[in-house]
Amino acid sequence: MEYLLELTGLTAGYAGKPIIHDVSFRLEKGTITTFVGGNGAGKSTLMRAIYGSCDHLGGGIIFDGGQIEDKTPWERYELGIGFVPQGRCNFPDMTVSENLKMGCYTLPRNEHRDRIDAMLESFPMLSRKIKEKAGNLSGGEQQVLETAMVLLSEPSLLLLDEPSLGLAPKTQGEVFDFVKRIAADGVTVLVVEQNVHGALLISDKAIVLEMGRKFLEGTAEEVRNNPNIRHAYLGGNLSEEEVSE
Amino acid sequence: MDYIYFLQLTANGLVIGLIYALIAVGLALLFGVLGIVNFAHGELLLIGAYAMALALPAFGLAYMPGAIVAVLTAIIAGWFIYEIFLSKLGHGEFERSILITMGLSIVILNGIQYIFTATPLLVNTEFGYAGVNIGDIRVAWTRIAAAVLSAVTFAALYVLLNYTQIGRAMRAVSQNRDAALMVGMQPRKIGRNAVILAASLCGLAGAAVAPVQLVQPYLGQFLVFKAFAIIIIGGMGSIEGAVFAAIALGIIESWIGGFFPVVWQEAAGFLIMITVLLLKPSGLFSRGGVRVG
Repeated sequence: MEYLLELTGLTAGYAGKPIIHDVSFRLEKGTITTFVGGNGAGKSTLMRAIYGSCDHLGGGIIFDGGQIEDKTPWERYELGIGFVPQGRCNFPDMTVSENLKMGCYTLPRNEHRDRIDAMLESFPMLSRKIKEKAGNLSGGEQQVLETAMVLLSEPSLLLLDEPSLGLAPKTQGEVFDFVKRIAADGVTVLVVEQNVHGALLISDKAIVLEMGRKFLEGTAEEVRNNPNIRHAYLGGNLSEEEVSE
Repeated sequence: MDYIYFLQLTANGLVIGLIYALIAVGLALLFGVLGIVNFAHGELLLIGAYAMALALPAFGLAYMPGAIVAVLTAIIAGWFIYEIFLSKLGHGEFERSILITMGLSIVILNGIQYIFTATPLLVNTEFGYAGVNIGDIRVAWTRIAAAVLSAVTFAALYVLLNYTQIGRAMRAVSQNRDAALMVGMQPRKIGRNAVILAASLCGLAGAAVAPVQLVQPYLGQFLVFKAFAIIIIGGMGSIEGAVFAAIALGIIESWIGGFFPVVWQEAAGFLIMITVLLLKPSGLFSRGGVRVG
């Protein structure tokens, strides 16, 4: 089995204080994994720790065969880790076009055009709004823009923090379809989602976090059917229809 | 009202306003990109002004070579200040940035006073006191040179910030730092670029102001507090706002100095700043809450 990412006893946090304690897991290439956990369980911090944008306090991270825990976010980005943080994470006073150009920041000049054109083909909405300021797009559109900005660098691991937050249910479905599409292209995806049910339906694997520690790990199916998890995160019993999905 | 006198005041104010804008834009840029307030900004200008004053005689009073030396000297000084002090600060470490840059400002000011004494230097250029008549008003060549240099610089700055990746990256970091990290930018490298750019603007402002005003060690402090007022009026971090507020302030000051007792000239900018802070606390050109840094 080929693993893209491996965490061994990772401890991380902010200002020297640990939020994530001794977390270990491995991700296989081309799979989708969901972090499940309540507020303050450390899901977002764990993502930041993998990207290097919070304090590393112990343990190791192996990405694509190399140790990366001492690397900066921009070094990890160059290695192929893409991270779309939670909330509006774009350049609001720049146009969609300028935002996409910023997504090409680390790429050689002569590749910008082709990559942006290819991205616009995948997301026709962006080409319709190419001259709009990012700050004037709807929440869902901004989410798509941000993901596109990160995908321009063609990451092999994509970290998505709450991609469906604040979106209408229909748009949430589109986001999940889109995540599936990315994974189908061979990108390994790690998702934190408030819509746990929706995320588990598209995931191969789930990791449950509690109080900054790994509580449970299993296939998405196992976690979905675990009575404790159902009770805590999935709002009790699922309807027949949901289970049959 | 004597309209010729009024136009003359307006022309003088415009030139001073453009020089204010050079200082204020750099300050706004650093505030946006590094999230710090640079109290040593005036001393970068001071260094530029002294470099101009000392370089001019060496180049037979030729204006442009003097200005180039001033810009280069300010860039070197800014780069040192960044590498030794500012790069050690985390983003938005406000209190530390204020204390460190304020201390630096005083050290540089006193160092210059020690080396060159407090006696003001009268800076002469190839233009001497010659001027040109535009309609009924007369403008000295040194002022025209200052205005043209500033205007060309703003045009270049506009192109840099809007059409090059280096410039766009500075805007990007000031709009959203997390997003800048998301697309693989190195905030430190971009911060250094911003400091070099801001220092070169200061050097240019120093070169422009040296032949127009007397050069003395307190020149920078005197101008930088006005620059603070300007970026507050313009909306912290907004470059267009800073340019607009700077030119407006230059002209308003000149009018006030011309029609009222000159002591009120200095107070004008700060009165406007206080009024703006009371009526629109985020400044005239600030853009809602989405802006980070």
